[in-house]
Amino acid sequence: MPIHSLGYREWSGPLESTSSRWTVIAGIGIRRAWQNMWLRRIMFFAGVPGVVMGFLIFGYERAAEGGNSAAFMFSNLLQVFIQGPNHEAIIGGIMSPEIHQNLHEQRHLFWSSLLLTLYQRSQAMMLIPVVGMIAPPLISQDMRSRAFLLYFSRPISRVQYVLGKAATVVLYLLLISFLPGILLYLTGVLLSPDISIVLHTWDIPLRIVVVSLVMIIPTTALALMLSSLTTESRFASFAWFSVWIFGVFSYWVIASFSGSISDRSPLEMLSLYHVIYEVQGWLLDVNQETVVDPGPRLALLVMLTLVSLAILFRRVSAPMRV
Amino acid sequence: MSALIELDNLTKDYGSFRALDHLSLEIGDGITGLLGPNGAGKTTLIKVLLGLVSGTSGNGRVLGYDIERQSREIRARVGYMPEDDCYMHGLSGIECLQVAAQLSGFPATEALRRGHEILDFCGMGQERYRNVETFSTGMRQKLRFGMSIVHDPALLILDEPTSGLDPEERESMLNRIRLLARQIGKAVIVCTHILPDVQVVCDDVVILAGGQVTVCQELDELQKSPDPSLTVRIHGSIDRFLECLRRSQVRAEPLSDQSVCAWGTEESVSPLLWQAAVQSDVAIRSVSPSRTSLEDVFLKAVRKPPHADS
Repeated sequence: MPIHSLGYREWSGPLESTSSRWTVIAGIGIRRAWQNMWLRRIMFFAGVPGVVMGFLIFGYERAAEGGNSAAFMFSNLLQVFIQGPNHEAIIGGIMSPEIHQNLHEQRHLFWSSLLLTLYQRSQAMMLIPVVGMIAPPLISQDMRSRAFLLYFSRPISRVQYVLGKAATVVLYLLLISFLPGILLYLTGVLLSPDISIVLHTWDIPLRIVVVSLVMIIPTTALALMLSSLTTESRFASFAWFSVWIFGVFSYWVIASFSGSISDRSPLEMLSLYHVIYEVQGWLLDVNQETVVDPGPRLALLVMLTLVSLAILFRRVSAPMRV
Repeated sequence: MSALIELDNLTKDYGSFRALDHLSLEIGDGITGLLGPNGAGKTTLIKVLLGLVSGTSGNGRVLGYDIERQSREIRARVGYMPEDDCYMHGLSGIECLQVAAQLSGFPATEALRRGHEILDFCGMGQERYRNVETFSTGMRQKLRFGMSIVHDPALLILDEPTSGLDPEERESMLNRIRLLARQIGKAVIVCTHILPDVQVVCDDVVILAGGQVTVCQELDELQKSPDPSLTVRIHGSIDRFLECLRRSQVRAEPLSDQSVCAWGTEESVSPLLWQAAVQSDVAIRSVSPSRTSLEDVFLKAVRKPPHADS
């Protein structure tokens, strides 16, 4: 027995609010996930694309002031990041003699297109491995080690438990979606010639929030649901990566047989990646020529979230019922 | 005895299976042994008491709180040590206790301090810094016990607290339970199949069978023989001693080479025992009232139909 052992002592200190107990569960998940070296590396580089693209805004403003030759050089650089009708609209706008008359409108399109590229190209690609590393063990290992009894014999509810687990995933996803988006916006503002730009782009931070949530909420619900379906976290990981790989592969196959955009099959909605991308495009007010009706895609994301949560709560309650 | 747990006509069905059948029960202070064969409804009863599952009908109160509507208040004041080998994956022993305390509302620093204090009380040394996956069964058992008391609950529900422990650790665990009940004043419910543990620590016994309470009584009362008798240990010739007892009209039977069972109350038989000892030239080593073993009580209780006495 240690020499400082005090034996059993009663305790009568103040207790913290019951509404914040989920943060304890979130804290466990966040600390454990952070022990993964690969996750730390991804997190370290998560903000880089946002900053790099921020310098494009600087180039855009220079090109808008510098005339046709500067715009031509910029258009080549821009082609790396933005392709399709948006690129043509932006370049067409910047090379137009009336650029100064509708610069605000052009700038808004450019910034939004850049954000969409950020979310589609780099951040969505980060999301898949990040969630694949964090989420699968979150609930499956609790089921395997029967930790449910230890959690639920405390004064916490199932909602708080799920909230704590979800907060773990959401925090890391905010770091790879919301944070780079905001960094891109702030870099753009700081490198712009005039602070009045904020007045013309005030809605973009709000759109970044919504676009990030569109990315975070369904994926978090889906990942936790998959984790709750098994006691083996590797099976949940396999299912998670399968959803994305199978979805994108199906999209490519179906799209190669489809003709114009209007001929697209609803089966293309099998690809969660493209569904999220198209909804994000709609929310950022770009891709207006290419985007199909966002209604079914939004409904699909809402449905996916609700079904995942329903299964998740049922699975979390299951060990208590026997 | 003030009732800490009051259940009135509580029934719990899992589909067509009735786990608790119109169960009425009062449990008070001290240490209560909750016994019953497998499938008797002990675990279901514990889950209902903690509000983890809802009863199908009936009602009950734990520490004055309604089990249906105030389960969170109950869980804040009750410490539960599950029977299952459950642990929080990826955490060290001390982190498990810290998390358990924080989930009960302790501030983080205070939870850590309290966790160390409780692990000292549980006799866990530096191994508390190891990951729980590397713990032995006995260490996990101590850890779960620590987690159940870290928030200083008024009522402790311990499900098989000594299973998987070596004899020395088992003794230590029983001592801790005794200390918490006798010196700190905690009410304790010990749910176990190890009857000697119940005999050693419990004040009262509740036996469940088929989802119903078949016995709810003080342990001392329960073990009193319906036909009073004395067990006498002697040194000398048992045959001469028995013969002298029979001459004195005392009904007696040998239990072993050195012990005799003599029927009758202590007041009526004792003088005759000493007289027979003098006459037969044997020495009496001890005289004690015969008691029914808890095993006999248990077997009788689980075999008889519920409420047969009433």
